[in-house]
Order: sequence, then C-alpha cells, then structure tokens
Amino acid sequence: MLNILNAVVAMGFFSFAANPLHAQKPPETVDLSSFPGQSIDDVLVPVPSEVFIVLDKLGNPNWRSELRGSLGHQTGNRAQVALLLGTVIAEGFVAVEAEDSEQVKDIGRRVLTLSKAINVEKAVLERSKSITEKADVKDWIAVRKEFDGALQDVKGAMQELGDDDLAQLVSVGGWIRGTEVLTSIIRKNYTTDSAELLHQPALVHFFSKKLDTLSNKRLADDDLVERIRKLLSAIAPLIGDGEGAVIPQENVTRIHKMTRDTVAAITSKGA
Amino acid sequence: MKKILISLLLILLVGTAFAYVDDALSFAYEAASPYVKKGFSVREDAWGGDLGVKDQQAVQAQLFKGNEYWFCLGTDVKGAIISVNIYDAKGNLVNVESSRAGRLSSVRVEPQRTGTYYAIVTVHKSSQERTGWALVYAYK
Repeated sequence: MLNILNAVVAMGFFSFAANPLHAQKPPETVDLSSFPGQSIDDVLVPVPSEVFIVLDKLGNPNWRSELRGSLGHQTGNRAQVALLLGTVIAEGFVAVEAEDSEQVKDIGRRVLTLSKAINVEKAVLERSKSITEKADVKDWIAVRKEFDGALQDVKGAMQELGDDDLAQLVSVGGWIRGTEVLTSIIRKNYTTDSAELLHQPALVHFFSKKLDTLSNKRLADDDLVERIRKLLSAIAPLIGDGEGAVIPQENVTRIHKMTRDTVAAITSKGA
Repeated sequence: MKKILISLLLILLVGTAFAYVDDALSFAYEAASPYVKKGFSVREDAWGGDLGVKDQQAVQAQLFKGNEYWFCLGTDVKGAIISVNIYDAKGNLVNVESSRAGRLSSVRVEPQRTGTYYAIVTVHKSSQERTGWALVYAYK
C-alpha cells in the first residue's frame, strides 16, 4: 500500500511523453536516465520465497536445518519489536519451505502476539487464523500467500497509524533474516549461480535510504537501527558491482556472518 | 471554516485517488488470475498511481535469475489502452511474451541475470484525463 500511496502522491509530477509507437511494439532499448529518480526509486521488496524457490531449483537445501530454535524475545522497544516481527514473518517462509506445519502455526501465533505489541493486531487476526487452517491441510502455496498478506497488512496498518517508519523496519528485519538463510544455504554448496542471488543493489540502496530518512527521531537514533545502517553499508560493496559480476564465496561468508549476528541482536535484545 | 473546507477537499481527493487505484488493482489481480492456475504465486504488494494519456512511469523490481515472472497491469478506465514492458538495468527490453485484453496488459519475463529491472507503464489511449493503474507480479 505504501508503494501505491507514493505513486498516488507522485501523480502529475513524474510524467513523461510516450512514443505513440509503444502501442504497437515496445522499443528494444530505453534511456532509464530520462526518468526522474524519484519515480523509479521505490521498489517492491521481494518476499523470501522468491529467492528460496530458486535455491530449490538449484539444489535440495535442508530447510529444516535453517529453522531457528527460538523465534526471539520481544522488549518494550518498538523498533526492536518491528524488526523482530519482520524476522518472524521471514521465518514463516522458511517453515513453509521446510513444510513444517507445527512451526508454521507457532509462527502464525507469534506474528499475532508481536502485532498486538505494536497495536496492529486487528490487521492480522484473520491472517493468523488462516495460516493455521492452511498449515493443517499442508496447502503450502496458500500459507506462503498468507505470510505475504500478513506482511502487507501489518505494514498497511502501521502506515494508517502514521507509523511509516515502523513499517520500513518490518521490511528490513525480514530482508535481513531472509539474507541470513540465503547465505547459509549458498555457502554450504557454493556456485556462482547461487551467489548471484545476492546481487540486490536496489534493495540495499532502498533500505539504506529509508533508514537514513526516518522521521521519528527515537527510531532514527535507536541502537539497532544504527547497527543495521552499518550492516547495509558493509554489505553494499560485497554484492557485486554490476549485472553478472561474480560474488566470491568469501563475500557470501562475510554477509552470512554479518546478517546472522544482526538477527541475533534483533532477537535477543534485552532478553 | 476555510481550514475545514480544505481538509474536506483533501480527504475527498485522496479518497478518490485510492478508490480508482483500488479498482485498477482489482483488474490487475484479474489479469494475474490465469497464471495462478499455472502455479504462479501472486504478490500481495503492488504498485499503482495514475497517468495522463501518453505518459509513462518506471518502477523498480528486484528479479531473480531462475524464476519466471508475469507482470500484470490493470486500469479502472473502460476502453483505455495501457501497457507494461520490462527492461533490465541497462535499458534493454526483456519481455518474453505479452498479452493484452481490454483494460488488462501482461508480460512474462525470465531474467537472465539477478538484479534490478524496470517496469515501464504507459497509457496509450484513454477517455479520461488521468488514468488509474495498478501493477502486480506473480512468480514461480
């Protein structure tokens, strides 16, 4: 919904004349620099499944071994709860890959608890029930969709409450946990093809920009947020300069260690 | 009184904008529905906005080599002709297949590289000054 809002707000500001021939056949090349930066700056954050299913095609990862024993501890710190919620939803996607019904149901319940802590429980109540029902019948595609929906509902509810900053932290938390799992699997069976999945410069730039422009000073100054800013700065040079650049195993290992430590900090803070 | 009137006007304008983006979103999901039957998962998140006739907007997407994607565009304006095309970070067209039916337009992509891609939305023809649009994507 944020992207829709941004696009609506941007209406009329970022419009360009189109070539009438586009109606018949699109041009083979376009000059992307002719589009204003802000109109193309917003990016939809992929859900972890989008990259996990590629890993399934490349090999046969042991998803169960990637599941965390504990979903982490929440504190009274809203930044920590939002980040933790992101990691828990990401964990839901791992549990779906592992086809672990009980874990999926635990995660669905935890999403509800964490949502309550930041006043967006109503938005995910139905999703939580639906996750349980669909996990019981092992409809994994439907469960995956419910986790995606839960993520969007939580973010939408936060935005309605004027908590855009908190919504961004949910996305960032999910991406960090997803990247931790991604790098864990790649480093166990490294190939240049699998490592290429880490080439996500637009996302890293997008998250960095969002964290650098948080309007809530308390969130902006939060220790965990500052830690994540540093994490993103450290990851940016490790994920390949350009399209098709080889990401060496050493970089995969470094990104894994950094994301693992950050997830540990998010999930254990104050515990 | 003046402030109240301005606030009411703003609420009305924003409400109207969301209404037509929501309608366009319904059409975008309708465009994506055939691919669900083919095993694609449709994302719950979406892009949206409105454009004048012959205007374009570019949005970014992170795509992964090894996946297949359908980008599905819908509009709330009956009779409008809209299109979506996908370009890589160097501005090269990467459409593999496309389809258009009424107010729906879809394009399939099989990324040869993992990275940033650009979906360019164009309104070619419309009876309205501004045409609401929404774009979703499905992956497998």
